[in-house]
Amino acid sequence: MRTKHVASFALLALAASTIAAGPAPRAGSVSGTVTFTGTPPKMMKIDMAKEPSCEKQHPTPVMTESVVTGPGSTLANVVVYVSAGDQPGPAPSATVRYDQKGCEYIPHVAVMHVGQPLEIYNNDQTSHNIHPLAKANPEWNKSQPAGSPPIKATYDKPEFIAVKCNVHPWMHGYFAVLATAHFATSDGNGKFTIPDLPPGKYTLIAWHERFGTQTQEVTVGESEAKADFVFKALPY
Amino acid sequence: MTDRLVKGRSCLGWRLPVVCGALLAGAGSDLAATAPANRPTRAPAAEAGPAYTAYVAASGGVLPAAARVAIAAHREATIPAFARKYNMPCSACHTAWPELNAFGQTFKDNGYQIGNDRDSPIWLNPSYIPFAIRTTPGWRLERTTHQPVDDGLGGTVEKTLTQSGFDISGADLLMLGTLYKDITFGFVPTVEDGEGVGIEAAFVRFDNLFRSRWANLKVGKFELDNMLSEKRSMMLSSNGGFYQTYHFVPVGDGTDFGLGDNQIGAEWLGHSANSYTRFSVAVLGSVDGVPGLPSAKSSYDAAFTLSQAFEAGKLGLERIGLYGYVGQRATTFETSGGEPIPGTGRNSKGFYRVGAVGDFFLGNLELLPLFMHGSDSKDLAGGTRSATWNSGLLELHYYVSPQLVFTQRDEIIRMSRQADPATPKKLGNIDAFTFGYRWYPIMYSRAGLALVGEVSFTKTTGTVPLSGDGVGLDPLSPSTGVRSTSVLLALDFDF
Amino acid sequence: MKRSNPVAVLVSGLGLCLLASGTAPLGAQEARVDGMQGNAGAGKQYYRRYCIGCHGKEGDGSGENAQWIDPRPRDFTIATFKCRSTPTGTLPTDADLFHAITRGFVTTNMPPWGPLTRQVRVDLVAYIKSFSPRWKTQGPGTPISIPAETPANMESILRGRELFQKMECWKCHGPAGHGDGPSASTLTDSKDNPIRPYNFSSGSRFKCGETNEDLYRIFMTGLDGTPMPSFADNIQPQDAWDLVHFLRTLQPLPTPEAAAWHAWLPAHAGELKPIGPDQGGQ
Repeated sequence: MRTKHVASFALLALAASTIAAGPAPRAGSVSGTVTFTGTPPKMMKIDMAKEPSCEKQHPTPVMTESVVTGPGSTLANVVVYVSAGDQPGPAPSATVRYDQKGCEYIPHVAVMHVGQPLEIYNNDQTSHNIHPLAKANPEWNKSQPAGSPPIKATYDKPEFIAVKCNVHPWMHGYFAVLATAHFATSDGNGKFTIPDLPPGKYTLIAWHERFGTQTQEVTVGESEAKADFVFKALPY
Repeated sequence: MTDRLVKGRSCLGWRLPVVCGALLAGAGSDLAATAPANRPTRAPAAEAGPAYTAYVAASGGVLPAAARVAIAAHREATIPAFARKYNMPCSACHTAWPELNAFGQTFKDNGYQIGNDRDSPIWLNPSYIPFAIRTTPGWRLERTTHQPVDDGLGGTVEKTLTQSGFDISGADLLMLGTLYKDITFGFVPTVEDGEGVGIEAAFVRFDNLFRSRWANLKVGKFELDNMLSEKRSMMLSSNGGFYQTYHFVPVGDGTDFGLGDNQIGAEWLGHSANSYTRFSVAVLGSVDGVPGLPSAKSSYDAAFTLSQAFEAGKLGLERIGLYGYVGQRATTFETSGGEPIPGTGRNSKGFYRVGAVGDFFLGNLELLPLFMHGSDSKDLAGGTRSATWNSGLLELHYYVSPQLVFTQRDEIIRMSRQADPATPKKLGNIDAFTFGYRWYPIMYSRAGLALVGEVSFTKTTGTVPLSGDGVGLDPLSPSTGVRSTSVLLALDFDF
Repeated sequence: MKRSNPVAVLVSGLGLCLLASGTAPLGAQEARVDGMQGNAGAGKQYYRRYCIGCHGKEGDGSGENAQWIDPRPRDFTIATFKCRSTPTGTLPTDADLFHAITRGFVTTNMPPWGPLTRQVRVDLVAYIKSFSPRWKTQGPGTPISIPAETPANMESILRGRELFQKMECWKCHGPAGHGDGPSASTLTDSKDNPIRPYNFSSGSRFKCGETNEDLYRIFMTGLDGTPMPSFADNIQPQDAWDLVHFLRTLQPLPTPEAAAWHAWLPAHAGELKPIGPDQGGQ
């Protein structure tokens, strides 16, 4: 009889503690390094002679950015994001900023949530036209002369959108529009960290504009989980 | 183009042995059969020249009853070359080739120019040469009733003659296109086995003169601007591919004329922007398209057409038109040593054709009614008064899809006045019915193929049928209805 | 739990559907132009007759002949159209598509389909809209409002010339509008096919018409799918007419603007600063 009481009391207490625990405990994160095997293509020098106002901003010529590597065969500009396992939420209200400076797109890949505000700035002394080549989202093309206010845009559907400037054909960038707020981009050393992930099982996708995608399952506990990605690089 | 398997009535057709045999025998009107009916083929108009004039001369300038020399229909234009040039399917310009739809008619009226700065000078991509060929091999059957044949005892008995077998048509070499912006050319030689080469069309057209689409001038040999075009007929058999209306002349009438024949002359054509309004006026030689100035000196015919189309909502585009042709033919010639001299015809007498025609769409059903009133002067018709007649036809096309069309035609011709009052009123009357289909299993821009099936019946009262096979002689009695039947299964190639 | 009556469910479901369809706006399978209603079912058979050779059975611009055509036929599945009266990134109106079919596109293989009856063209518009799901979720954009045209005098033309310089049109179209600007040779459309900018000195019609108003719309809505952007954010509507008037002087056509320009030019040519990069790098 007493055991029964104890058992049921314990059960009750456990239930209470679970309920009283409220929202998830201290959120974990995922971090890792993106590397590649094989030989990546050589990046080329960009000739900006057609746009002297940009050319003179670069004492040494700029290289193309479709494959940016770091020390130790690491890969930059890889977007790592959660494709399954997290709850959909509202778009973050923070504005994502995309700059045109020295006739380059900075950052090379702008990552945003569906519906998150995007602002595109022209910091150069020349006109640019900003032409995101969206397919699932509407494709638009707007001119942005020097000194114009930023162009504001949002995207409603997840998509990786190539961005180009028709006037300056060497300018290439990307908008990564995602359905999740949990994403990160690998830096110059190939490192990334996705913070604020409640514990659970997740599927991560790593996307690179030339080398495709890699998928990985990861279980996040209360501490930092690790997920490394290795891409197969091809020289073409 | 050689008339595919349509039989015709020229001197150089199957009647040649008959007629020329008569010439040799020196008999004017005694046209006893002296040779068996050969493989029926039609002569291109050009080659009818020398024999024709000799024949006319021998007849004293007036052609006797049995040898009506109306040139029968030739086949013409579906131009894969245009499809290759503009990269469009055949169905863009044709309801079912060769018949043109509104878009194709406008393209033709504009001088084979689409009008988007891709036309001129001739814009050549590697696959475009202004050259296309059309030919039609197949199997056919011809049957003619009441044909007078020898009974082996010195007399004549009437029999039904039937022939059938595989046959080929000649080939049309279709060369039409632009020489320069707003200058169009057309050259269509026809090649037929055993008959050589003829020229069905050869013309130059100056388009949009004075920068106006109401001013286009075509000079040469070409088809008249008939709304119901015999050259673009959907039917190909001996009896089916032949508009009786366009070639009919009364018994005893020697007028050589066919409204469906290509004529030589000059034509002024005007059209509105989308060709809903069209008109043409032409001055033509009195030669029924035969080159070489064979007939009357300085004698000219004239023709006009006029049509208006209007939109009828979901039914489609409806068009009505009027047409007329007035001409003259010589009745006597100068002679030299008894032989008539070509081009010296005198005492020209007149004839005319006039009528109305429609092109109505009820969704996928196209109705093409045509009415004609014809009149030939008494000297041409060989009697004491002018011969007049009326004819009506209704043609139906049902387009199951751009690649399958069913066709049907009913045609009647009724004499309203014979030239010779003693002639029976019904002599020469014609009833004709045709049923057919065209199925286009392939319809690419580079080539086209149509599988054609057709059966056609004509009944001609008291005289040799205008089309079809036979021995070329009148039936024994002028009240007999001679029935000519054609069956055709053919492959119509165009590439 | 009480089992729900299946019949009741069906009937109420049907009723809901009927209610919804009755109140639904003009479906994506229909089009309306000038009071005429087009139906995609009817349009389908006309598409097969007239359009399929270039635009393809799926409407994706890969018909039998597409491989030999430059520029390529439009891909209707992505619903990006050049000639619109609506802002960049939005869908065109039914009238925009109707006029595109009627007018054709100069210097392309798209012919003017005027000889087709209006009903046929409206039916085709309805069918074209069925190729992309975007038409079901989005309606057409709101047509831009175009103010009345300002007078085409020399002040307007000269202001337009400044705009041509400032907006850097010359970078693609060239200082004299010959289509030979510094960036002209590297231009590609959104499918990475090479494309040339309009050459004003050819005197041919514009892609989207031939009137001043058509020209206004071209640069104020952009030609989606091509390098030509929209300048709606950068040019005031009234100032846009100035640019239109200047652009007319670049064409060898007998327009009032060209006449005024050529009358003015001999006496004042020296006053003009040349168009191009020597303007202090704007």
